Amino acid sequence: MGSVVWGKPTGARQREPLCRVDSPWVRPRNLAELLERWRTDGTWRQVVGSHRLEGVPAAMAPMPASLSFAVIDAVRKRGIDRLFTHQARAIELASSGRNLVVATPTASGKSLCFHLPVLQSLSEDPNARALYLFPTKALSRDQEESLRRLVSESGLGTGAITYDGDTPADARRAARERAGVLLTNPDMLHAAILPHHASWARFFSNLRYVVIDELHSYRGVFGSHLANVVRRLLRVARFHGSSPTFLFASATIGNPQEHARRICGQEVELVGESGAPRGPRELLVYNPPVVNAELGIRQSYLKTAVRLTADLVRAQVPTLVFGNSRNGVEVMLKYLRDRLSRDQVDPSLIHAYRGGYLPDTRRRIEGALRAGEIRCVVATNALELGIDIGALEAVVCAGYPGTIAGLWQRFGRAGRRSDLSLALLVTASNPVDQFVARHPRQLWSQSIEHARIDPDNVEILVQHLKCAAFELPFRARDVYGDLPAASLGDALDYLADHGVVHPTAGIYHWASDSYPANGVSLRSASWDNFVIIDCDDDRTIAEMDWRSSHSMLHEQAIYQHEGGQFQVERLDYENHKAFVKRVKPDYYTTAMTHTKVTVIEQERSALVALGEVPLEAGLGDVSVVEKVVGYKKIKFHTHENLGCGEVHLPEMKKHTTGFWLTFSEAFVEKQVEPRAVVIDALRGLSKAMHVVGAVGLMTDPRDVGRTLGGRNQDELPPSKGDGAGFDPTIFLYDSIAGGVGLAPRLFEDREELLRRARHLIESCACQEGCPACIGPDAGGGDDLDAGRKRLVLEILDAVGVSVVH
Amino acid sequence: MRLKQKLARLDPPPKAQPGQARGQTLQRLRDQLARLDQKEERRRRRRKKERVDQEGRSRALPGERTETPYGEVHLVEGYLEPHHCHGRAPIAKALAASAERLGQLALDPRLEGVELERALFLDTETTGLAGGTGTVPFLIGVGSFEDESLRIQQLFLRDLGQEAPMLHWLRERVEASSCLVTFNGKTFDWPLLRNRYVINRVPAPRVSAHIDLLHCARRVFRPRLGSLRLVELEREVLGMRREDDLASAMIPELYFDYLDGGEVEPMLAVLEHNANDVIALSALVAELVDHFEEVHAEDDPRDHLAYARVAERAGDPSRARAFAEAAVEGGGSSSCTVEACLLAARVARRSRDIDAEEAALIEARAVADDDLLRAEVELALAKLYEHRRKDLRRALEHAAGTAIAEGDEGNDRRVARLERRLARHR
Repeated sequence: MGSVVWGKPTGARQREPLCRVDSPWVRPRNLAELLERWRTDGTWRQVVGSHRLEGVPAAMAPMPASLSFAVIDAVRKRGIDRLFTHQARAIELASSGRNLVVATPTASGKSLCFHLPVLQSLSEDPNARALYLFPTKALSRDQEESLRRLVSESGLGTGAITYDGDTPADARRAARERAGVLLTNPDMLHAAILPHHASWARFFSNLRYVVIDELHSYRGVFGSHLANVVRRLLRVARFHGSSPTFLFASATIGNPQEHARRICGQEVELVGESGAPRGPRELLVYNPPVVNAELGIRQSYLKTAVRLTADLVRAQVPTLVFGNSRNGVEVMLKYLRDRLSRDQVDPSLIHAYRGGYLPDTRRRIEGALRAGEIRCVVATNALELGIDIGALEAVVCAGYPGTIAGLWQRFGRAGRRSDLSLALLVTASNPVDQFVARHPRQLWSQSIEHARIDPDNVEILVQHLKCAAFELPFRARDVYGDLPAASLGDALDYLADHGVVHPTAGIYHWASDSYPANGVSLRSASWDNFVIIDCDDDRTIAEMDWRSSHSMLHEQAIYQHEGGQFQVERLDYENHKAFVKRVKPDYYTTAMTHTKVTVIEQERSALVALGEVPLEAGLGDVSVVEKVVGYKKIKFHTHENLGCGEVHLPEMKKHTTGFWLTFSEAFVEKQVEPRAVVIDALRGLSKAMHVVGAVGLMTDPRDVGRTLGGRNQDELPPSKGDGAGFDPTIFLYDSIAGGVGLAPRLFEDREELLRRARHLIESCACQEGCPACIGPDAGGGDDLDAGRKRLVLEILDAVGVSVVH
Repeated sequence: MRLKQKLARLDPPPKAQPGQARGQTLQRLRDQLARLDQKEERRRRRRKKERVDQEGRSRALPGERTETPYGEVHLVEGYLEPHHCHGRAPIAKALAASAERLGQLALDPRLEGVELERALFLDTETTGLAGGTGTVPFLIGVGSFEDESLRIQQLFLRDLGQEAPMLHWLRERVEASSCLVTFNGKTFDWPLLRNRYVINRVPAPRVSAHIDLLHCARRVFRPRLGSLRLVELEREVLGMRREDDLASAMIPELYFDYLDGGEVEPMLAVLEHNANDVIALSALVAELVDHFEEVHAEDDPRDHLAYARVAERAGDPSRARAFAEAAVEGGGSSSCTVEACLLAARVARRSRDIDAEEAALIEARAVADDDLLRAEVELALAKLYEHRRKDLRRALEHAAGTAIAEGDEGNDRRVARLERRLARHR
């Protein structure tokens, strides 16, 4: 078991020389040995799934004839004489003016697929312009360098300029007038460029290509916003007389072509077959052993991931560890350093990397990774965004990221052109992870989730129509992306009714003295970040988005940063500042959140009449109010609960689409068990439905919210004891404000959803409910746990839900 | 149709994001809410209001529709008599103004040859102050001299979407003029208009010269007035107090109200406001140049000092000296007097008038009551005696008090060098 792993592969024990000549990144020979060791030392017993992806040789193609000598020359200077087949095809498509999306694995040379057509157009016409969009500032800065080099090596006179909030004023002017390639982010395009497009007339009238990298990151609300920004961009480009070609690049998602088509509202060709070579890759799913069979509790996945990672680091295998939360990352970093320092491994070889770090910290870490001064990085998904850190031999995912696509985007970070690499998933105790552990094969055989957006989400649409009207008046036959003309008319009339636009002679003019883009943030949270200030030296150590700050920065919370612990002394909510002090506690905190869902308008309803007791199902608009009410203190290493505290913060409210299933009060009354027990069982059922719902929709479970409450607005949420009579209702709703279409699909599949929930509960090996099915007992006392799981099944019997095999 | 229902559900608009209230005191928030309510109320009112008959409204508007080769514009025109004064400033003086002086004030030597008789004074009223392509100038006022009279022409946009003829008309006026005169026009009005030319696909005019009076006025009046809004300049410099003038912030809302069929009267106030702004431009030119042309002894010494600085920067030493002397005579604060003396000394030094330099510095020394200023005076005196008068002993005397101005190290070096040279001469 655990202790066995302390026997280390030979060679790993040697002390680190003070000055290494060869970088550890190019010394992979010990991975194979380590895997061999795991097979024999008992580690392998917990491997519930393994799969080997064989290596693939390169498929090459000659340089396309459409490229000019100057461009080919510039590429040759980088030692590239021939292209991979997918690169050649992308260039061919682009040169004939077709939109395309490149969806090939990480490190397959996607950038050349759009750099080369862009360079070609610049070499043909010195006035040509290209726009690159990246989801983050950091990424555009990364690409600016390499693009500049390519441009100058092609002997072209134009430049490549990053245009973001940090660009100085004189460079901004140069960007407008002269830059052949403009690198920016959607937020900047939305708030600073499009509303001033008249000053960018030269740029827009010569716009040939729009390059959208990291397409997969534009899902949900952000993606719906981006689609609208692109609709505005196309209107503006059309006004200035251009119609650019779109070049997309995406990491693994199930529907790259469809997604790209929705973002730009036009047909897009798919370049999906990679010609790049790949070494063999070992995929492993490790399920930590059960420590409490009754409660279905397993060894901590964080600790397990740390143990396996420590093995890798000692074996000199460059490793990337992904956690699913900032907290998880910091906890793992601390454990890893604790563990390795006992072995005299220099703790500075291990580093954390996450979104909340300030840009220069991130740059420093990326540099050290590339240079090989850091051997292991623990990251949240920030690294998914394609920052170039070179080849890594092993990726460890601590916890399933929620989607197969997300998992592959992380796994894709491991893998080199010829040698063996490892991608390891350590599953947590939660239901979705356990579902994955029981069906590991679906990770490599099932299709991959789709990126979903809804550009016509009414709240998002209306905001962007305001911006679009500000940019150019809407004329009679104007189009707005692929929005149907009738809907466009309705929406403009709505704006006219509110006096925001002024209709005259069939044209809608902006008629307000505001600058609408300032009121619209593409990322629901980025613009009102909280800053985290160290009381000791008044230094800003990090930032956090508004929504997360409620659960992470409440007073008394332990905030973890770069492996250190800070306690929040004071939260200045009005001014978005959290003041923290360095502490050395033996615990960390997790927040407890209350959620209340209210139906605003029922759109559809149906009876679920499978047995004698019919249930009422509904679909419609709901309001969701979340409030962080308290926190728990969790002891490091043992994870025992050390007590809790209260939190007083304003509630967070959003409107979204929800699906609900109502059991009548009469039904609850009829049960033999006390009502609190029945309610608890229904809550358990809701958990199971949430799991199978998320899995069935192939979506991140966090995209679906869940709660149990009363059907009608005035009813109190169920409390433990003797709450007055109400109709208990299971709510599953889109977590994203406005909804992206998950709840309607749950409503459609409601009967199947119940059947699959039953299957999940029945097939779970636990006795009285565990995190993998209906959740462990809430700790409400002895009378609650007796027969909990049996009661859920009885309730399903009563409503006539049986498993069909 | 589903979208339509969703739109209906959005009404009333969703609550403001919690972040927007950040950092605001409760009272300010309440005020804002009250204002929003009023705005919303006005909008409701104007939505409900029946459309008044358009002809009647346009008759109530002064001026008339005028045909141009590019389409119809609504033109309001008026003349001001040659002896008209804006406050105490006779505007016709702008005609007699020297372009050279104005060029100095603008620190732009290219203006020196400009015929000010053909200048075009320009000011716009817009649908917002935020800039960007959604902001429309709905009223363009221009002023130009015809003989001795100032002719004011205002183009009013009776409805959105009719800008093109107005922009063509303006282009011809701008190209026929010798220069544009605006207040903050380099930053606001002109970039905005340039955008309108792009949006309306009308070729933008060539502007041969552009004088932004905000920059000129800033150089002259910043020390005395601080804030430099046009209305404040009018009050403090031109002695003109507007009655019932509109707050600029209200103008966009009034115009939108008008567009939605609201009353015509508020537009009269906007027209008057704009005309006054145009007139103020010409008066300000007259005043600025007149008071720079020759010293007006009754002016504030701070103004004299500011004019002296402008003249110094523009390379006009005799004018700089005259104004510096006037500033000293004016009996202002000691620091103003000392600064003026130092300036006079600087100018004298450049024209190698050692006596004048010495006199100015001695006067400064008598007045300086501030340690730093006194040290600067001492430093200037030390240099004067060492380099120009070759009087090392007196230079050494003054070098005793220059440490604050040049730092201890510099001062030590200076004293050591002087002592060394003195010893050698003995």
